[in-house]
Amino acid sequence: MIFLAIRYLLERRRQTILTLLGVFFGTLAYVGVSGFFLGFRGYLIEQLVNNTPQIHIQARQDYLTEHQLDSDFYEKVFAHVFWRTPPAGVLGYMGVQNPQEWYARLRADPRVEAFSPSMTAPALFTQSKISVSASLIGCDPYQLSRVTSVASYMTEGQFTDIAAGGNRVILGDELMKRLGAAMDRFVTVTVGAGAPVPFKVVGRFYTGSRGADLMAYSAITDVQRLNGTPNRVNEIGVRLKDYHLSAEVASDWAALMPERTESWDQQNPNIFSVFRIQDSLRFSMILTVLIVAGFGIYNVLNMTVNQKRQDIAILRSMGYDTFEIVILFFSQGIILGVIGAICGLIAGYFLCRYLQTIQFMGGPMGGRQGFLHISLDPYIYLQAATMALLSASIASILPARAAGKLTPIDIIRQGG
Amino acid sequence: MGVAANHVFKSFGTPATRVLTDINLKIEDGEFVALTGRSGSGKSTLLYLLSSLDNPSQGQVIIGGQDVTKMTSEELHNFRNQKMGFVFQFHYLIAELTTIENVLMPAMKFEQAEKFRGRAEFLLEQCGLKEKLGRHPRQLSGGEQQRVAIVRSLIMSPKYLFADEPTGSLDTLNGDLVMKMIRDANRENRTTVVLVTHDSDFAEQADRQIKLVDGAIVID
Ligand SMILES: Nc1ncnc2c1ncn2[C@@H]1O[C@H](COP(=O)(O)OP(=O)(O)OP(=O)(O)O)[C@@H](O)[C@H]1O
Ligand SMILES: [Mg+2]
Repeated sequence: MIFLAIRYLLERRRQTILTLLGVFFGTLAYVGVSGFFLGFRGYLIEQLVNNTPQIHIQARQDYLTEHQLDSDFYEKVFAHVFWRTPPAGVLGYMGVQNPQEWYARLRADPRVEAFSPSMTAPALFTQSKISVSASLIGCDPYQLSRVTSVASYMTEGQFTDIAAGGNRVILGDELMKRLGAAMDRFVTVTVGAGAPVPFKVVGRFYTGSRGADLMAYSAITDVQRLNGTPNRVNEIGVRLKDYHLSAEVASDWAALMPERTESWDQQNPNIFSVFRIQDSLRFSMILTVLIVAGFGIYNVLNMTVNQKRQDIAILRSMGYDTFEIVILFFSQGIILGVIGAICGLIAGYFLCRYLQTIQFMGGPMGGRQGFLHISLDPYIYLQAATMALLSASIASILPARAAGKLTPIDIIRQGG
Repeated sequence: MGVAANHVFKSFGTPATRVLTDINLKIEDGEFVALTGRSGSGKSTLLYLLSSLDNPSQGQVIIGGQDVTKMTSEELHNFRNQKMGFVFQFHYLIAELTTIENVLMPAMKFEQAEKFRGRAEFLLEQCGLKEKLGRHPRQLSGGEQQRVAIVRSLIMSPKYLFADEPTGSLDTLNGDLVMKMIRDANRENRTTVVLVTHDSDFAEQADRQIKLVDGAIVID
């Protein structure tokens, strides 16, 4: 029967090709669009989990409640205080309360790959008459390079050049430009009400994100001294062995410790809703294409069944049964589905490979000039093939069943 | 054995119009029977009943000792494939297949095309189609097409051949050729033949004539 099915397809070449094209473009579109979206998503996540710590442990911040300060102001004189303007704002803690306890906990946790304490302070950078305010991050460069990929963005100097301390600073590209600073020259750094201190510029980094490039790195001890707060740490960044566990681990810790503990995905909930919108868009688009392709198969098969009534009659009189007739038509749909899908998958693969060669400059997070990130995940191809075959099967089964139900006698009586 | 009809009635539609009334007949193995009668007398209807393509409203049809209504679908289809050949007024060749492929189509049900190829070529050669094995039906004349259809019906060496006005759309020359093929099958292979025909010359070539008038047998 398959042999005859193939003959039928070859005889009406034009229809066969048109139907194939429907399935072909459906699969191609799925592979291309999914590759693009998922590649972009993978890239974005990769950037997020590499460029910033996967878990941020930050000094606690509580929002003030209306009556929280009653006793501070009025002791126990009044049972209830009515505020004309209730106190509001955050109750800030200046640092991680017990860093040593955190370090012990992080070292003991098998899920942790690395961690890095840091002390960030808002600073005013001055070079001759120009002043720019920017964040000054004090860190241990060895520890921080194990937590984020910051060291790989260095364009001049070594990230570890600040390790020894001694008032050295690495400036972001943007900061460097605004200050008109240069390597091995000095810039003056002022933190809070402290005195200005000259720092030597020992490096420059460029990430491509203007915000990130407006920062500076220095040794943690230098920043602590500058800020007048020795030993203070206001953030601990953590990298896990498996970043998928970030939210779970962060919630575990949040329950145990007073600090604000957030994972990268908890900090960026909006990108996940964007992903969801992308997914539904992708699926509805592909569904439309496949429904159109399915209708193509359905129409062609219906027409074929009608045109081949005589063939059905004579085949039945030769002893071919209902099932064999169903197979004769069903297999045509499946052949169209399989060939269309295979061609679509192959073309989709090459389309993705081609897209990968397209260059683009700097992403939202990521810096150096790169290539479009296109996912070649086999799962996409599996999904595309499944969808194509499913729509082909559904589209073929109805006409095929109708063909199987025709009895030879009805057809012959009608004179074919 | 052979083919038998016992008190067979056939009606169509609602309200029922009776087309065949109390048909009783017995066709022996190896017999050549012609079914004649005026147009609308029920010849085709009877042929389809005798050949299992249709079921009687009442009564029994026995083919080769078996009641066709009691056969399983698989038995019936295998029986049709192995034991029966059909020829209709129109050839019903499959347009996408060549002459030889059309002829071998019944053998393909059990993937025996190669086994029957020699016989197919022999039969086609005998009826003058030696040069046309690779042609498609549209490249053949009407007479040639009908000859191919008859070879196809005979390829499995069936015990029973049912033909419904196979010469109906042919000129005398082609009609004679087709009749000769059917006669040869009957003589040489003892194929039981039931032939519906308008043509009295052709009917006369049969061993026995059964005439229908208004759905009943009047001359046997
Ligand atoms: N499916 C059907 N529904 C209703 N009536 C039918 C059906 N098939 C046949 N008939 C009627 O049964 C009668 C006999 O039809 P049948 O085809 O057997 O005649 P026939 O003898 O073969 O005629 P012809 O020589 O013209 O082929 C006709 O009156 C026809 O109208
Ligand atoms: Mg008739």
